Amino acid sequence: MLQIKNLKKHFEDYLATDDISFEAKEGEFVTLLGPSGCGKTTLLKMIGGFHKPDSGEIWINNERVDHLRPENRSTAMCFQSYALFPHLSVSHNICFGLAQKKLAANLQKDYLAEALLQVGLVPHKDKLPSQLSGGQQQRVALARAMVMRPDVILFDEPLSNLDAKLRESVRFEIKSLQKKHKLTTVYVTHDQAEALAMSDKIIVLNAGRIEQEGSPESIYYRPKNRFVADFIGAANIHKAKVTKLEQAHHYQVSCELGDLIVESEEPPVSDYVYICWRPESAYRAQGEVENTFNIKVENLAFLGNVTDLFGRTLAMNDGESVRIQLDKLLHTQVGKSESFVIPKNAIRFLEEVDE
Amino acid sequence: MKNNNKLILIISLSFFALVNFIWLVVPFFMAVLWSLVDPSHPWSFPDIFPRVLSFNRWIEVWQTTSLPEAMFNSYSLAPAVALLTVTLAAPTAYAFGRLEFRGKQVAELITLLPMVMPTMILAIFFSSLLLDLGFSEPYFSIVVAHTVLALPYAIRIMSAGFKAVPQDVIDACADMGASRITTFRHAFLPMLKPSILASLIFCLVISIEEFNMSYVLGAPDFITVPTILYSFLGYSFVRPDAAVVSLFLVIPNVILMLVIERLLKGNYLSQSTGKA
Amino acid sequence: MKLWLLLLPGLGSIVFLMGSALYTIMIQSVGLHTELGASLDYWSDTLSDPILFRSIEYSLRTSVLGSLGAVILAYPIAMWLRKPIPGKTAIIGLLRAPMFVPGLVAAFLLINVISFHGILNESLLALGVIDKPLRITNDKFGWSVVMLQVWKNTPFALILLSSSINSIRSDVLDASADLGASAWANFSQVVFPLTIPALQAALILIFIGALGDFAFASIAGSRNVYSLSVLMHYTATAYYEWEKAAVIGLVIMVLSGLSAILITLMTRPFANRTRPVISASFLERSHEK
Ligand SMILES: Nc1ncnc2c1ncn2[C@@H]1O[C@H](COP(=O)(O)OP(=O)(O)OP(=O)(O)O)[C@@H](O)[C@H]1O
Ligand SMILES: [Mg+2]
Repeated sequence: MLQIKNLKKHFEDYLATDDISFEAKEGEFVTLLGPSGCGKTTLLKMIGGFHKPDSGEIWINNERVDHLRPENRSTAMCFQSYALFPHLSVSHNICFGLAQKKLAANLQKDYLAEALLQVGLVPHKDKLPSQLSGGQQQRVALARAMVMRPDVILFDEPLSNLDAKLRESVRFEIKSLQKKHKLTTVYVTHDQAEALAMSDKIIVLNAGRIEQEGSPESIYYRPKNRFVADFIGAANIHKAKVTKLEQAHHYQVSCELGDLIVESEEPPVSDYVYICWRPESAYRAQGEVENTFNIKVENLAFLGNVTDLFGRTLAMNDGESVRIQLDKLLHTQVGKSESFVIPKNAIRFLEEVDE
Repeated sequence: MKNNNKLILIISLSFFALVNFIWLVVPFFMAVLWSLVDPSHPWSFPDIFPRVLSFNRWIEVWQTTSLPEAMFNSYSLAPAVALLTVTLAAPTAYAFGRLEFRGKQVAELITLLPMVMPTMILAIFFSSLLLDLGFSEPYFSIVVAHTVLALPYAIRIMSAGFKAVPQDVIDACADMGASRITTFRHAFLPMLKPSILASLIFCLVISIEEFNMSYVLGAPDFITVPTILYSFLGYSFVRPDAAVVSLFLVIPNVILMLVIERLLKGNYLSQSTGKA
Repeated sequence: MKLWLLLLPGLGSIVFLMGSALYTIMIQSVGLHTELGASLDYWSDTLSDPILFRSIEYSLRTSVLGSLGAVILAYPIAMWLRKPIPGKTAIIGLLRAPMFVPGLVAAFLLINVISFHGILNESLLALGVIDKPLRITNDKFGWSVVMLQVWKNTPFALILLSSSINSIRSDVLDASADLGASAWANFSQVVFPLTIPALQAALILIFIGALGDFAFASIAGSRNVYSLSVLMHYTATAYYEWEKAAVIGLVIMVLSGLSAILITLMTRPFANRTRPVISASFLERSHEK
C-alpha cells in the first residue's frame, strides 16, 4: 500500500508538484494522467527516491520512506527510456536486482525463467539490449522491474515509444501481469485511452495539482471541471443559467443550444455554471422530442467506426462550435442545418462561471 | 536532507581545494620562490624561507647563461613550425572534414601515429638518417621534426572545423553565383578562423615545449629553452637557475593554452585525441 | 579535385618522415647499411645483455604503475564531476592544468618538492612523522617517475573517462539504484563496464607514452637503471652503437604493440556480460512446472 501525503517539490522557483496527496491500495492500479510538463515524472521520481520532496510524506506498507535512498525502497521503476543496462544481456539485466539482493543463484534462475516465459523473451535471453526491438526492450524493462516483486511498481509512460499495435499488446501484458501478481502500481501516462483501459483509479494532474481523482467511469462520465472534461475524451462545454425544477434531480438550463432539461443527482454548485456533454451522447432527432437543438454542419469526418461532425449553433454572433460523434453514417452535407437530441442524463454540471 | 547534501558538497570542495593545493599550488609556489632567491644570499638548509627576495636571479640568468640565445631559437622555430604545419595540414584536413572516400578511417589512423610513436625513437633515427645523408642544419631539421609531431593535432582540429561548416551555407554561396574564392571567404573562413588560430597556437606550444627532438637534433650547438632547462636539471644542476628557466617555459605556455581554450571552448582536447 | 593531392601534404609528410625513420631503424637493426651486410648479431648481442632486461623491467614497472595510477585517480574525480557542483568550469580548468606544463618543468617541480631539504621532507619533519629527511629523488624503484607520469597524465585520463561517464544516461544509473545497487555496485557493475572503451584508450595511450619516456627517467629516474629510451639514447649518442640502439627502439615498439593488445584483451571481458544464466532445458523444465 502506498500513501502520498502533501508532497511538494520546487525546481528553483518553479513549483513542479503542489501539495499532492493520494493513496494506492494493495494491488491497486493507479494512473497519474496529465498533460506534458504537469509533474507526473517528478512525482514518480519522488516515490522512487530519485528526487527529494521539499515537504510531505511517502508511506509504503505503513512505513515512512521519504528519507530512504532508492536502493533501500521496495519500489521498482520502468523508465520511459527503458534504461536497460547496455552491457548486460537480457538475462543479466533481469537478474541485476536479484543479484543486488544477494538472492541464492538457484532462486535467481527460477525467477528468471518465470519472467522470461511470461514476457515471451525466451529466444532472446542472451542478446544485448541493442540487438532487441523497441517492444522487446520494453518487455525486458518490465520483467526487470517485475522480478523484484516490489511493494510498489512504477511505470513512466512505458508505451510511449511503441507503435500503436504493439502498444495495445504490451498494455494487456502489463495489466495481466499486474493482476496476476497483485502488484500495487503507479502508472504515468498522458494518453487518456490507456488510462481508462488499465486503471482502477485515475488521478488527473494539471500544473502540479490534482484536478480529480476517481474510477475511470466516474472521471469520464462525471468530470468535475472543464479541464478534466476536456482532457479526458472530447467534450462540448457551454455556460448555462440553471433553474431548479419541481421534479427531483431535474433542472432547466439555458445555454447556447437553447433551453434544455438536465437530470443530475449532484446539484450544480451555483445557478450560473459550465455544463458539458460527450459528443457521442447526442443522436439525431426524429420528431418533436425534449432537448432537441439545431446546428449548422461545418465539417464531416468519416473515421470508420464513427462519424465526427463539427457544427455551429445557430445563435446570432457566430454561435459556438459543437462536436458530435455518431456511430451511423449520416446523410447530410456541409452547410445544412440538422437537429439533434441530448439525453437529459448525459449533461453534467461543472464548476461555477466566475465573471 | 538538503543540509546534508550541502555538507557533502562543502566537504568535497574543500578536499578538492586541499588536494589542488598540494598538487599544483605548492610545486609552483616553490618554483617561484626559488627563482626569487637573491644570488648573493643563497637559501640553504636551516632557513625556512629565503633571506632576501629579488629579481636579481632572473637578470643574472638572462645575462650570464645562454638563455637569450635559447629563447631566440625557440621563438624563431615555433612560428615557422606553426605556419608550415597549418599549411600542410589544411588540404588534408579538408579531405577528412568534407569528403568521403574509401580508406578514410585508415588514413585518419595513420595521421595519429606520431602521437603514439615514442618521439625518442623518431628523433634518434631521423637524426641518423640525416647523418647518413650528410645533412646537418639543426634549424631546418628541427622544424621538419616538430612539424610532423604537430601535424596530427592540426589535422584533427582543422578537420573538425571543416566539418562544422554547414553545407547549406556553401550551397547558398554557390547558388548566388559566388566564385570559389568568394565561397571560401564567406562560407569557410568565418567558421574556420577559430580552428586555424587554435591550430597555429597549438603548434607554437608543441614546438616551444618539445624536448626530445630538439635535444637529439640540436644539442649541443643549437639550444632551445627545453634543452637549456634539461642541462640545468642534469649535469649542471643549479636549482634557482632551473626555476627561472622553468617559469620562462611554462608561463607563455599556459597563456597560449588559455587562448586556445577560449577559441575552441574546451573541446579541442577531444577533437585532438579523437577518442572522446 | 584530386584526392591524393589533398592528402599528400599532411598525410604524406607524416608517412614520409615516420616511414624513413622506421626504415632506418629496421635496416640498422640488422646492419643492412654496412658493408658487412645483414646479420642478426646485433639482435642477439643486445637481447643477451642484462642491462636491457633491467631497463625493460624498469620501464614496464613505471609505465604500468603510472598509467594505472592515472586512471585510478581519474575515475573518482570523473564520477564526482558528474554531479552539479558550483564553479565546475574553474574546477575542470584547474584539473587540466598539469597537461599544459611541459614535462621538464613538471620534473623540476617534483624534484623541488621531494628533494632532501624540500618542502615535503621539511613538512614531515615539522609534523614529527619522520626524524630525518627521506632520500626519495632518483629512487631505484622509480617512484618519482611514477608520480610524474600520474601527475602529468591524470588530466588526460580524466578527459577521456569524464566524457565517457557523462555519456551514460542518468536513467540507467537511476535504474541501478532503484534495483538496489549500492554506490560501489553501481560503479563496478554499471559505470566501469560502460567506460571500458575509454579506459582502454586512456590506458593504452598513457602506457605507450610512459614506455617511451626519456625526460622524466633521465631527470627524476634512478641513477643506476636506465629507462628504455634513455638506454637507447646513450647507446646511440654516447657509444655510437646505432645498430644496438635500433634493436632497443624496435623492442620499445614491439612492447608498445604487445601491451596495447594485452590491455585490450584484459579489459574486454569486463565490458559485456552475455554468458547464459540458464539453459534452454532449464527453461523447458520450469515451463512444465
Ligand atoms: N531536474 C529538473 N530541473 C528543473 N526543472 C525540472 C526538472 N525536472 C522537471 N522539471 C520541470 O518540472 C516540470 C514537470 O516535469 P515532469 O518531468 O514531471 O513533467 P511530466 O509531467 O513528466 O511531462 P512529460 O509528459 O512531458 O514527461 C516541468 O515543467 C519541467 O520543466
Ligand atoms: Mg515525464
